[in-house]
Amino acid sequence: MDIYYIRQQFTLGAYPAILSLPLPDDSSPDYIPTLLYKARAHLALGDNTSALALLPTDTENIALRAAAALARGEQGLETLRDLCVEIEGDDDSEEWEKEIVQVLAATAFVRAGEIEEALETLRSEDKIGDEPAALLSQVYLSLARPALAQKVLAPVLKANPDALVLQLAESAISLVTGSQGTSGEPYAPALSFYNEQVANPSISSAALLVGRAVVRILRGELSPAQSDLEEAESILSRAKCEQGSSDMLAAMVVAAGLSAKKGEADQLWSRLLKQYPPIPWSQISVLKNSCSMNALPSLRFLLELSLSLRMNRVVYNPCNDNNSGGTGIHRG
Amino acid sequence: MSVMLTKFESKSNRVKGLAFHPTQPLLAAALHNGSVQLWNYRMGVLVDRFEEHEGPVRGVAIHPSRALLVTGGDDYKIKVWDLKPQSRRCLFTLHGHLDYVRTVQFHHEMPWILSASDDQTIRIWNSTSRHCVAILTGHSHYVMSAQFHPKDDLIVSTSMDQTVRVWDISGLRKNTPNNGPNNFETFDTFSTVKYVLEGHDRGVNWASFHPTLPLIVSAADDRTIKIWRMSETRAWEVDSCRGHFNSVSSAIFHPKHELIVSCAEDKTVRVWDLAKRTAIQTFRRENDRFWILAAHPNLNLFAAGHDGGLIVFKLERERPAFTVHGDMLYYIRDKYVRTYDFNSGSDIGLLSVRKFGSPYVPPRTVSYNPAERAVVVTISSDNGLFELSSLPTQSNGEVKDSSADGKRGSAHSAIFVARNRFAVLNKTSQLIEVRDLSNSVVKTIKPPAQTNEIFYGGTACLILSSTTTVVLYDIQQQKTIAELNSPPVKYVVWNADGSLVALMSKHIANKNFSQNSLIHETIRIKSGAWDDTGVFIYSTLNHIKYCLPQGDHGVICTLDNPVYLTRVKGKTAHCLDRSARPRTITFDPTEYRFKLALLRNNYDEMLHIIRTSTLLGQSIIAYLQQKGFPEIALHFVQDKNTRFDLAIECGNLDVALETARAIDRPECWDRLAQQALKQGNHKIVEKAYQQTKNFDRLSFLYLATGSTEKLSKMQKIADARGNPMSRFHNALYAGDVLGRITVLRDVGLHPLAYLTAKTNGLEEEAAEILEAAGLTEADVDDVPAFDKCTLQTPPVVTPTSNLNWPSISMGESFFDRALANGHLDGDGDIPHINGNGLDSGAGASTALDEWAKDEEPDVEEDGWELDAEAEDDEEKDVDEEFEDALEEEDLGAGAAPGVSENELWVRNSPFAAEHVAAGSFDTAMQLLNRQLGVVNFTLLKPSFLSIYRSSHVYPLQLHIRRNPEETLPGRVLPVAARTLSSIRTELSEGYRFVSGNKLSEAQATFRSVLLALLLMVVSSDKEAKEWRDTVTAARELNLTTVRRSLELAAYFTHCQLQPQHMQIALRSAIGVFAKANNHATAAKLARRLLDLNPDPKIVAQARQRIAAGDRNPRNTVEVSYDEFTEFEICAATYTPIYKGSPSVRCPYTDAAFLPEFKGKLDPLIELTEIGATASGLPAPR
Repeated sequence: MDIYYIRQQFTLGAYPAILSLPLPDDSSPDYIPTLLYKARAHLALGDNTSALALLPTDTENIALRAAAALARGEQGLETLRDLCVEIEGDDDSEEWEKEIVQVLAATAFVRAGEIEEALETLRSEDKIGDEPAALLSQVYLSLARPALAQKVLAPVLKANPDALVLQLAESAISLVTGSQGTSGEPYAPALSFYNEQVANPSISSAALLVGRAVVRILRGELSPAQSDLEEAESILSRAKCEQGSSDMLAAMVVAAGLSAKKGEADQLWSRLLKQYPPIPWSQISVLKNSCSMNALPSLRFLLELSLSLRMNRVVYNPCNDNNSGGTGIHRG
Repeated sequence: MSVMLTKFESKSNRVKGLAFHPTQPLLAAALHNGSVQLWNYRMGVLVDRFEEHEGPVRGVAIHPSRALLVTGGDDYKIKVWDLKPQSRRCLFTLHGHLDYVRTVQFHHEMPWILSASDDQTIRIWNSTSRHCVAILTGHSHYVMSAQFHPKDDLIVSTSMDQTVRVWDISGLRKNTPNNGPNNFETFDTFSTVKYVLEGHDRGVNWASFHPTLPLIVSAADDRTIKIWRMSETRAWEVDSCRGHFNSVSSAIFHPKHELIVSCAEDKTVRVWDLAKRTAIQTFRRENDRFWILAAHPNLNLFAAGHDGGLIVFKLERERPAFTVHGDMLYYIRDKYVRTYDFNSGSDIGLLSVRKFGSPYVPPRTVSYNPAERAVVVTISSDNGLFELSSLPTQSNGEVKDSSADGKRGSAHSAIFVARNRFAVLNKTSQLIEVRDLSNSVVKTIKPPAQTNEIFYGGTACLILSSTTTVVLYDIQQQKTIAELNSPPVKYVVWNADGSLVALMSKHIANKNFSQNSLIHETIRIKSGAWDDTGVFIYSTLNHIKYCLPQGDHGVICTLDNPVYLTRVKGKTAHCLDRSARPRTITFDPTEYRFKLALLRNNYDEMLHIIRTSTLLGQSIIAYLQQKGFPEIALHFVQDKNTRFDLAIECGNLDVALETARAIDRPECWDRLAQQALKQGNHKIVEKAYQQTKNFDRLSFLYLATGSTEKLSKMQKIADARGNPMSRFHNALYAGDVLGRITVLRDVGLHPLAYLTAKTNGLEEEAAEILEAAGLTEADVDDVPAFDKCTLQTPPVVTPTSNLNWPSISMGESFFDRALANGHLDGDGDIPHINGNGLDSGAGASTALDEWAKDEEPDVEEDGWELDAEAEDDEEKDVDEEFEDALEEEDLGAGAAPGVSENELWVRNSPFAAEHVAAGSFDTAMQLLNRQLGVVNFTLLKPSFLSIYRSSHVYPLQLHIRRNPEETLPGRVLPVAARTLSSIRTELSEGYRFVSGNKLSEAQATFRSVLLALLLMVVSSDKEAKEWRDTVTAARELNLTTVRRSLELAAYFTHCQLQPQHMQIALRSAIGVFAKANNHATAAKLARRLLDLNPDPKIVAQARQRIAAGDRNPRNTVEVSYDEFTEFEICAATYTPIYKGSPSVRCPYTDAAFLPEFKGKLDPLIELTEIGATASGLPAPR
């Protein structure tokens, strides 16, 4: 499998597929990138132990070291800070490796709540890489600063309009702002992105369909959205794949709820809750805070995002939500 | 002109004359060997031959409106033939010419035949009287051709005397002359030479009139074509077309375009520009000189006759360039890019491409990019060109010209592959260039195979069509993803979701690179489109057909002329005709929908189709049977024989038995018995055997089932039939020794009978037999003594005579059930569920649009009016923050978070529902309290949750907006989770419960309606009023249902019931009435209860009630209530509150309560504080 495909799959959130890939020979030039993607896929799925097991301990490679540090959580922060310093003026490592270090370090900082530090890590005076730019734009999005996100992304996107990760980030911005692009349709960039990816014959993914359904829901096109979701459901049930069914269910709940199918929505909701334990009412009422203190970046979202920049998975996962002080029924 | 498309070709002797049939695809060809052929050029078959001329036939013509053919030949004869298929023969022959007849022609309205002959005359014949009516003389050499003017009374003729002459025959029309002998002097007076056109240096072979302009074109042996113009008084040469290098044998005007087509003995057919008189196109043949040209009167078709046969060709492709996006068709007509809306039918020109490529060639393809609203158009002239231009966004009537900002290049085909990329194929260099929107090459790809054409293959992918294969190719990877062997693919059509693609080549349509069904057609496939349901609809030259995903295909309807399908939606096929005009064709999709439903096991729809359409017929039964669904076919069939066959086939024994009874023929019973035996249903086997009186088998069956009784019955029957063999069998099967002995004795087989008796130890019987045989023991002493038979008839272990062998349960067939019920639930609204059902979505979005329109612009002020005093300071902050959000932020802004959408929603809305949607439950509750006096929020939890979860999607915590086209932070609002209309639907459900006497359900529904209404957003005054009406309606109904339960409880007690049931009814009624403080009625009912002598305990209760009734002999609730009475019911006590008496009201529903309930929780919906002050729903925005 080419690294191109792996990157494509990773960007679009097909982690299990990446995990099932065999590693190439360790002399192959694809070895380190593949290893990195596999480790990051583990991290994206929240499986730090497996990621650590996968990564060699005695490597000099800065990207691998960064990944291992990220997998160690709090204890890895210092290592990452060191690595960030190390890459400045480092001529031995390749550019992409430095970018990965930036991305992984920023991810860890965001996880630790050090938003400022994350931004500082990602921002650069001169050229900014695709992945760091995408992540940076998403951090800004999570801060509800879409204009900044757009500003970060625009020059990079112009330089490399074919980078999937940038397109994804662009579509995420449009999902948040409802921007219309050149065609005058709301959410046009996101819609085009998902339409294109759904039409791409070399990837087939329920997650993409869910993504498109979400755009359609946002555009108020409920029945097309539902048909996308149904298709996604049939793909997932055929593949017997639990992974990703949560985002699908979540979107289905919304679509059913909005089309006034209350019973259906409740049924789907309970299916969702079966997979993810219910949230106590008390926690929800804390939501009042969410208006005044929405400033708080939605942590979990960033964790997910920085690992992968994916938009296709439900970020909301209440069982992992206990560290965040319960600011809502979901953390977006 | 780079295309001359040969549609048909035939080999024959030299062709000297040609004529198209005006309406049918027929072409008559006059041959040098004396034969006249009639070809069907569409099917490519020789329809008929007319062989009565002696020597070459030069002239041929078909009547414009009647089925007549005229020919003229070197035998000086003109023959008129009947063309009707059943009577094709020579009708009559016109004699008179004295030399070869060169051309013949029918007049378009008069019964005239025009002929030109080497005898230097032109003659006009009356085909009714079959006489010559005029002889035009004047030419001084062979007359090579003569043609009527298409409208005027003119004839143009050409001759070897180097002149073209125009004759005026108006005199002939006025005075049909006497039928005299053929006399030159008589005829001459009716027609005069109008003009003599001199200019050619050699003999002139052909001349014809322009269909509309006063022009003549002539072709001569001097190798030139001359164009002449006529006025009323004179005619003159306009110009010559030079280029042929041998005698030009014919030249005609193009019936529609400003073109001349000519053919010559230099073995070429040439096309000329009439305006510029320059050659545009040359079509060369190796060995054959061209002799004759003919143009189809209506279609873009020409025929040319040469030394070795004829060709039928057209000058340009008529397939309009088009592409479909969503509900819009983008197509090119007359060199304008136009858009056609399938829904509204609006058809607008957007972009002129007149200056693009050759003016004679229509663009070949168009590819549309919705993200940039741009098109790439290709044209085949100049070895292929493409042009990228953007479409004007607002069509204000002005049409943009593509030359303004179009970006061009040379290409064979060009298509968009992503929103900012298009691919361009250069066929000669075999390179595919990927270009960006500024037309600079981003990437160059060498295709893996010789590629003739590229098509869209999904994002960043191409479909490459070569002569033998078609390849799906990933551009970024530069890799082949899939490959398929196929004849050259000419068009591809993707379905709506991009999961299936139809690849159309000349005669084969196939689909999808993985699952691949092939259809072979004998006729060209023109176009195709996917139905919403995944059926591929395609058009050939003369049919519209369908193809199901698994490959089944069939005809939907026939076509007179080819069409190019663009979109199929339900019963309507949108298409473009040959002149690129949008049309629609309505057809009946029932057949393929049925088949599709069958394939997808969508029984609901099948049943619906069965019920609502007249699909029944042999074909569908045969189809079902062939596809292995005899059990479904069974439901269609009335004919008992077919039914029997189908029932046997699907193993439906009940139906088979029933039909076998009806048919009652031995072979049916036999087949039934066989099938039933196979399935182990021996009862039916038994019946079948009984019917056919198949005693042997019946006995054996009884043996097998262990049914001894029946076996003995069979013995009796056998006895009655006088069949000893059968009796013996049965006795043997039944283990009946005595019976066997009796049979043997009866038939006189005494030795056997004796031995049987002996071996079974029946000494007495043995003795009797001996005696009967007239023998004694001594006579049989030589018979060896046998031991007593030890073999017994095996005992029946498990009697199965009343037990059918277990068979696989087939389950109750859906159809059995549905058809047996005789009705289908909700028959009317079984949706066509194969499809995506996009319509409802469209409806929803229009509703949203309307809402958005209703909104007033000054949201900020109005919206905050309500909380003005309390939040003055905050408002200021808000404004500042808005500015912050809007200003051009610089990156230094750092990590300070912006304003979240949830917060914006809260700021922008005074409605509780929208605060809930924003997750701000606290403020929502405050609002509800202030606006509607709600105090108890427990019940609202689920509603809060469902609204909140309906307004966010999770990947990014995305916020679903009510007004997606609004992007200003000050305007965004959350989506409305519940709309008034959806709530009204729920309300009507409640009505249904009431009428269905499901009172508790009704009450629950009304409550939930009231809850939902609480969290509504109204956006207009009208809606606010509707909201109030709905609240009132729901409240009243809620109240009424309680009251109704009283009445009904009372009515219930009056029903004729068993005493114990009556007791129950009475007790429940007493309970209900007592609770409602209707003590009088309760007491009355209690007395009735006592009459029934119930348990002592109940008696005690009843007495209590009676006592209460005596103490308080009144009813608080009027049970049979008159709607005109002026009182309201207290919603807590059900006591009437008469007009004028004091009452307090629920701040939400406005229900009335007795004053003592002030401050209590409203019992009706358990939400509000009775009598609380409330501001009501905020003003609509």
